[in-house]
Formats: sequence, C-alpha cells, structure tokens
Amino acid sequence: MTLDPQLILDSLPLIAQGLGITLKLLLYSALFGIGLAIITLVMRISGRWYLSWPAQVYIYFFRGTPILVQIFIIYYGLPQFGFIRGSILWPILREPFACCVIALGLNSGAYVSEILRGGVLGVDKGLTEAGKALGLSSPQRFIYITAPIAIRLSLPAYSNEFISTLKATALASTVTLMDVTGVARTLVSQTYAPYEIFIAAAILYLAFAWISYVALAWLEARASRYVKKGN
Amino acid sequence: MADLAAWGDDYLLGTLVVLKVFVVALIMAVIFGLIGAAARLSRNRIVSGLAKIYVVAFRGAPEIIILLIFYFGIAVSLTALVQYFDPATKFVDIPPFWAGSAAIGLIVGAYMTETFRGAFLGVDHGQVESAYALGLSKFQTFFHVRVPQMWRLALPNFGNHMLSIMKDTALISVIGLEEITFVAQMATSVTRQPFTMYMTVALIYLAITTLITFGVAALEKYANRHLRGAR
Amino acid sequence: MSGAQPVIVLDKVCKNFGAFRALINVSLSVSKGEKLVVCGPSGSGKSTMIRCINRLEEHDGGHIIVNGHELTKDSRNIDAVRREVGMVFQNFNLFPHLTVIKNLMLAPRLVRHKNKDEARAVAMKYLERVRIPNQADKYPSQLSGGQQQRVAIARALCMNPEIMLFDEPTSALDPEMIAEVLDVMTDLARDGMTMVCVTHEMGFARSVADKIVFMDAGEIVEAATPEAFFTKPQTERARQFLSQILAH
Repeated sequence: MTLDPQLILDSLPLIAQGLGITLKLLLYSALFGIGLAIITLVMRISGRWYLSWPAQVYIYFFRGTPILVQIFIIYYGLPQFGFIRGSILWPILREPFACCVIALGLNSGAYVSEILRGGVLGVDKGLTEAGKALGLSSPQRFIYITAPIAIRLSLPAYSNEFISTLKATALASTVTLMDVTGVARTLVSQTYAPYEIFIAAAILYLAFAWISYVALAWLEARASRYVKKGN
Repeated sequence: MADLAAWGDDYLLGTLVVLKVFVVALIMAVIFGLIGAAARLSRNRIVSGLAKIYVVAFRGAPEIIILLIFYFGIAVSLTALVQYFDPATKFVDIPPFWAGSAAIGLIVGAYMTETFRGAFLGVDHGQVESAYALGLSKFQTFFHVRVPQMWRLALPNFGNHMLSIMKDTALISVIGLEEITFVAQMATSVTRQPFTMYMTVALIYLAITTLITFGVAALEKYANRHLRGAR
Repeated sequence: MSGAQPVIVLDKVCKNFGAFRALINVSLSVSKGEKLVVCGPSGSGKSTMIRCINRLEEHDGGHIIVNGHELTKDSRNIDAVRREVGMVFQNFNLFPHLTVIKNLMLAPRLVRHKNKDEARAVAMKYLERVRIPNQADKYPSQLSGGQQQRVAIARALCMNPEIMLFDEPTSALDPEMIAEVLDVMTDLARDGMTMVCVTHEMGFARSVADKIVFMDAGEIVEAATPEAFFTKPQTERARQFLSQILAH
C-alpha cells in the first residue's frame, strides 16, 4: 500500500473540474443562509410569540438533524406530494442543485441565526440605553448601534460556520451532483485508487477552507480596529 | 402510516446501530482528543506540530471525504496486504461499522483536541500559582485544581461535539451500514413514500439530539452549581 | 433660584423589581436652573429614580412630569422628554465602533436631522468646551476614562438639552481623573444648566448643589440645602451615611 504522490498531483486538475459546482453551492447557500438568519433573528427578538415560535421550531429542527437527512427530505421527500409536483416551484425542486442550495441554506440559516443572536445579546446594554437617552428610535438604535457591534462579535463564529457549510457541500455528491466530491467518487470508481484521489480532494477543500479562514480573519481584524489593543 | 409501521422493526434496529456507532465514536473521540490536547500542549515542537496538522486536516476536510478515505482506503490497503500472503484473495471488505466509527472518532477527536486544550489553558493561572505556593506538587495541582475546573469549562463544547457525532452517524449510510438513513432508503424503494420515511429518520435524530442536549444542560447545571447565588 | 417654575416633578413615584420595592412614594421637584445632588447608600434607589426621569425605567405608580410632558406609555411624550434631557452614565456608554466626533454627531443627525457640517460644528464646539478637541478622530478605547466621560458629557450636550442627568459619573474613574470630570460639571452648573446628579463626591455636592436629596431603601429620607445637610442632618440614617462617606 504505497501512496502515489504523482497520482495525487495528476488527479488534482481532474477533481478541480468539480470546483465550480462546489463554489456555486457554497456561495448560494451561504447567501441564502444569511438572508434566512436575519429574518429568523428579527422574528426571534420581535417579542411576539407567533413570530418567535416558528423561528425557534425552525432552528431546533435544522440544528438537531443531520444535513444529509435534510438534503434527502428535500430532494427525495418533497416529490411524494402531488401538490409539489404540480406547483410552479417544481422545475426548481426537481433539480438536485437547487435542492442542495435550499437544504444547505436552511441548515446554515439556523446556525447563523443563533450566532447573530449571540452577537446581539453580547452588545452592552448600556449602549442601547445611551441611544435611548439621546432620543434614538428603536430601529435607529438597532441599525446604528446594535447591528454593527453584533456583526463584529459574530464574525469569529461565522467564520467557523462558513467552513462548515463548505464541508457540507460535499454531501451534494449523494444526490448525483458532480461537485469536487462527486468527481472524486467517480474517479475512484474508475481507477480504484481511493487514497490518492480522496486525499487530492481533501487537499482542495483544505486549501479553500484556509483561504476562507484568512479572508474572514482579515474582515474581523478590519471590523475590530476600534477595539483596544493594549495602550 | 401503515407502511411506516411495517418498517418499525427496521427503524428500531437502525436506531440501535446509530447508538452503537455513537458510543464507539464518542469513546474514540475522547481518546484522540486527550492525546491530541496533550500533544498540542507539549513543548516538543514536532509533537505539537503533528497534533496541529491533525487538527487542521480533520477539521478542514469534509467528513464524507474522510469517511470514504477510511472505508475504501483501508479496504484497498488490507486487500493488498492479504494478497501479499494469499494471492488468490480478490477483495477484503472492511466492516462499515468500524470504518465509520473510527472516521467519526478521528474527526470529532480533532475538535475535542482544541476543546480540551482550551479548557486546560482556561484555568486561571493565578490558581495554579497559588496551588504551587501552597506546596502542592505538579501532579496534585493537575488533579485537584485543574481537572475539576477543566471539565466545567469543556462541557458546553463537549456537548456540541456529542451532537456532531450523533449527526455524523447518518453519513455511514453512504458506505452501506444499515442504520436508519439506510433503512429509509430501502423503505422508500418499496413504499414510494420518501418524505414519510426520511422525516421519520429526522424525527428519530431530533429525539436523540434533544435528549443529549438536556443531558448536557443538566450536567452543566451541576458543574456550575458553585457559581450560582454568588454573594 | 427658588420660586422658578419646576421642570421636573415626581409625585408619589413607585417602582418595583419583582418583590423588591426600589422606589416608594418618591416626591420631588426641580426648578429651572436648579442643581440637585442625590446621594445615599448603594441600593437605595437613587439610580432607579434618575433613570425614571428619562424613562430608562418605567415607574409603576405616581406621576413624573418633565418640562410639561407627563411620562406615560405614550411614546411621543417619551421622545419629547429624551430630546430635552441629556444623560451621563457611570460607564460612559460611548459607542465603541464610532470615533469621538461620530459619537457626538450621531444623535443630532438622526434625531435633530442636522446636516453633516452643522452636526460637526456643534460637536467641535462641545469638544472644546470639555477641553479635548484634539481627540476628535480617535476611538473611545484610545482615550482615558476621564476623557471618555468628558466625551460622554459633550455627546449629551450636543443635543442642546435643558436638563442634564448624571448617574454616578465619576464612580468608574481612577481617582486622578475624577477632578477633570467634576471641573467640566462645575462649569456646566455655572452656566445655569438644570442638573440632577447621583454622586458620592461630597465636595462637589457642597460647592455646586442647591439642594441635596438623601435616599435610603427606596425613600427620600431627607432633602435640604448642602449647608443644612452637612452641618445638621435631621435623621440618624443620614448621619450614619455621612460619617461613613466622610471618613474616607
């Protein structure tokens, strides 16, 4: 069982053909997730039970179940219902790519919403009080005081969540998508060199995770430039 | 509903498999986490460097890729090994249960490494110094001052890691272990009710993750009992 | 100053936190230009009282009338009061993500709808008044505690308030920084600002206050001129408090 480094190198460009789909999955799901997270966050902190309850059920379900199962429910499960096959959404829900984006986005949205909530709760209460004392309205306090600080506080955790979403895109290969993992699995079934090819795929993911990590760390440093660093 | 009832036994057995994988992977993750943390904290730069690589690789690569490397990779290696002694052998199968448990144990072990390390470093240095000042040995300080506080610090993350292990068990269906997601696949092909079948899987996971969450919350309450009612 | 029309009236104000009675029938009136110092042991309700005046806390009973607006659930009255009342907090509460000048410009722009140049001009005027115009482009975290509190005072002044509330403005400061903040407050008093200060700085109280209110266990126990309060306190509780605080 010797590892063939040449084969790893040779398979990298082949596997990289799947990179486009992986990146598209990641980008769309992450954006969809952030959108959902903001809506869910507003519902949760609205103080109205009929808004905060559905938000909490959504978060509870998507954080408590495996992503793979969520993908299967949406891709394989939804067509069980005739009204879905008849609906205008069917051309979308029939596509594995769209189903993966929906599943990954829903999953990520649940986590990001909790991260943002942590950020909002981490904002010093005294700052909103100062805003009140200055006569700022509640939306003004949220937009100009709470939100910018909460976003900074959320960035480190978001960085981890973004990388989790990147890793979760690999599950798209289970519903026939030819992302990096999908291409790698096909190559393995042809060459039967699992070590080399899967390691090559892992290297691609690691490289991309590292790039994301550095980019988000830079963003965090920029957002934190007003925080005290010694004297 | 009648269709679902017919598959009740299979779901029950599948759930038992999930729980077995969970227990085995959890034990492995704790062991790898402890070894990893000790290595990360080591003054030997090679040892701590290797541990760092372990953490980065297993946290940055998609779980499913690692699982596939384990399953197919080990099978290929074992086959090669056995063929060396007995050229007549065509293929050696590795039980998906062990490949899966080991892969999940290693992945989550990388996360546990950081958690345990953080908990070790999280104990206030002043306390360690005062223990030394009181004449406690290094060993005594570790077990009487550090450990009792470490597990309190590690518990919230540890709970999240347990949830990760539980949800990762669904991936093993990809390599053919007959756990609940696999059962749902089979049931779907017979009953043509994918939504019902996969939703059942989701609800079983939801029930187990809820139990884990409550269990960890109770432990946390117990661990933090001396912090309550301070005054 | 006596005889001027009252700008703050508290009439039998009550406030409970659960079973804890933070304010019990507190009645008080402050005239225009009057300087009131509120003192008392910790937990006596003095912060709660001052926070009721701009409705950072909602009172449960009684009436509070500020500049002719009664504080009720009506948000228009609350907005009106907050526009006319400035507040300085113990922990400064400067917005950490904004520079000093932007901290000062935020409310005038959003609430008073001033344009950028107007807001900046006003902000610089007050920064000069608190004697730190050269720190305008720094972030709060780059300033000392005393400087931060002076920025906070300037921030409140930028809204051109008729009344200023101070909630223990020097309690979070190192001793050497207390004087610079008290100097600014004394200047402000001299210019005729109506002020309500919760503070333990008895020297400041003696030289600046027109009236001292002593609170204990949610009640106003004594209200007197500084002269009378420091030389002949009427109650045992006030005597005890004074002996403790002046012993330092």
